[in-house]
Amino acid sequence: MQISDHTFDDWVRQYQRLLFSVAYWWTGSGTDAEELTQEAFFQAYRSRSSLKEIEAVKGWLVGILRHCYAQMHRKIHARREISLDEVMEEFGETTDHRSDGADPHDVLALRQALERLDERHRLPLVLFYFQELSYREIAEALTLPLGTVMSRLSRARQLLHENLAMPGALTFANKLRKANLV
Amino acid sequence: MNCDLYRTEMYAWRPGSDEKSFQPLFDHLDSCAECARLFEHLTVSDENFRRTFQGYPQSPFLTSRILSGLAHQRAQAAARRPHWRPWMLALALVPLLVVLFVWVAPRSEQARLNREMAILLSKPPDLEINSTDRKQLLEWSASQLQGPPTLPAELDRVEFRGAAAISVAAHKAVLLKMKNEERASLVIVDAPMTQDDRFHPMQEGPGSASLWSDGRRSYVLLFKGTDQELHAYMTKMGIIA
Repeated sequence: MQISDHTFDDWVRQYQRLLFSVAYWWTGSGTDAEELTQEAFFQAYRSRSSLKEIEAVKGWLVGILRHCYAQMHRKIHARREISLDEVMEEFGETTDHRSDGADPHDVLALRQALERLDERHRLPLVLFYFQELSYREIAEALTLPLGTVMSRLSRARQLLHENLAMPGALTFANKLRKANLV
Repeated sequence: MNCDLYRTEMYAWRPGSDEKSFQPLFDHLDSCAECARLFEHLTVSDENFRRTFQGYPQSPFLTSRILSGLAHQRAQAAARRPHWRPWMLALALVPLLVVLFVWVAPRSEQARLNREMAILLSKPPDLEINSTDRKQLLEWSASQLQGPPTLPAELDRVEFRGAAAISVAAHKAVLLKMKNEERASLVIVDAPMTQDDRFHPMQEGPGSASLWSDGRRSYVLLFKGTDQELHAYMTKMGIIA
């Protein structure tokens, strides 16, 4: 398939946020996410002839991001624990961030909860909560059968809920208590 | 559906899922207050997670960095790309074709000639005309080839006893058997197989041969014997001085 440079540049503008945010929650680091997003777009540009249909571009890009993540992950063997200060600094440093009312405490708790999940649960879970990818797109991006994605997601959601009900995840628990749901 | 099963299965549901396949779950919610409360808990938690997931830092310059990186990649690719045009390729092929025609083709034809001469030496064809009348044989030969019924001056003293029409390297040719020397024959090929009129010895397994040309036809003297014997015969017949 022939993809013009102009079309590809439009995709960069259109999907940069999606790829960066997915990368952020996968890696747990703004710097790594930037590097990963850039590398994914560069690789996508080089292999743009492998895209079979324009409609599948979002899943295709996330699939390449997943591939880049696997390459990066091999280099980074151990990830260190992140502190609340670092999260606040990360958010404070940027002039343009999508806080959307997100509490840095929640962000930290969510990141820690995600880190406790293994990769096969973490990757689809992030794609799921963005809700911008359908089950089918997630399956294509992660090169997994649809049924596997559904079962992994189900288990991953259960684990995430359990992790966030732990003592470390106070803010979520507090919110739920306020809503008299726990 | 019991509560334990529901509490596992409820995580499979997402907004927009096919309602029909989850109908047993919703039926259970209607009948179990505890599970209904858990379901509400799940929905609220999911909404919190979703909102938190939207809270990620953003680099305002990432898009421009990616776009400038792509521009750099394109510039590098353009610099590496050879600016070949079809006419340039054709021009570059000309010397190659010249080499093929001038060097390779004659050598390939020469090799074929050698092979066919070796076959003629080991298996000479049956004569189609038997005669010692030189004029008659040359006229018969000329009828098989193109051009006049003459031979070059160096063959004036050679006499023949018969002839056969053959094909050599896809050219018309005749083979003339010598009258006074059983071991010798002359092949006249209706094409120049060599560029000059010098004698070119040819190494043949079953015998010896010598090739020369008058510019229009080629002549091969075949001899069932050694090079020295061929040379002696050619000297004796005045073909070479």
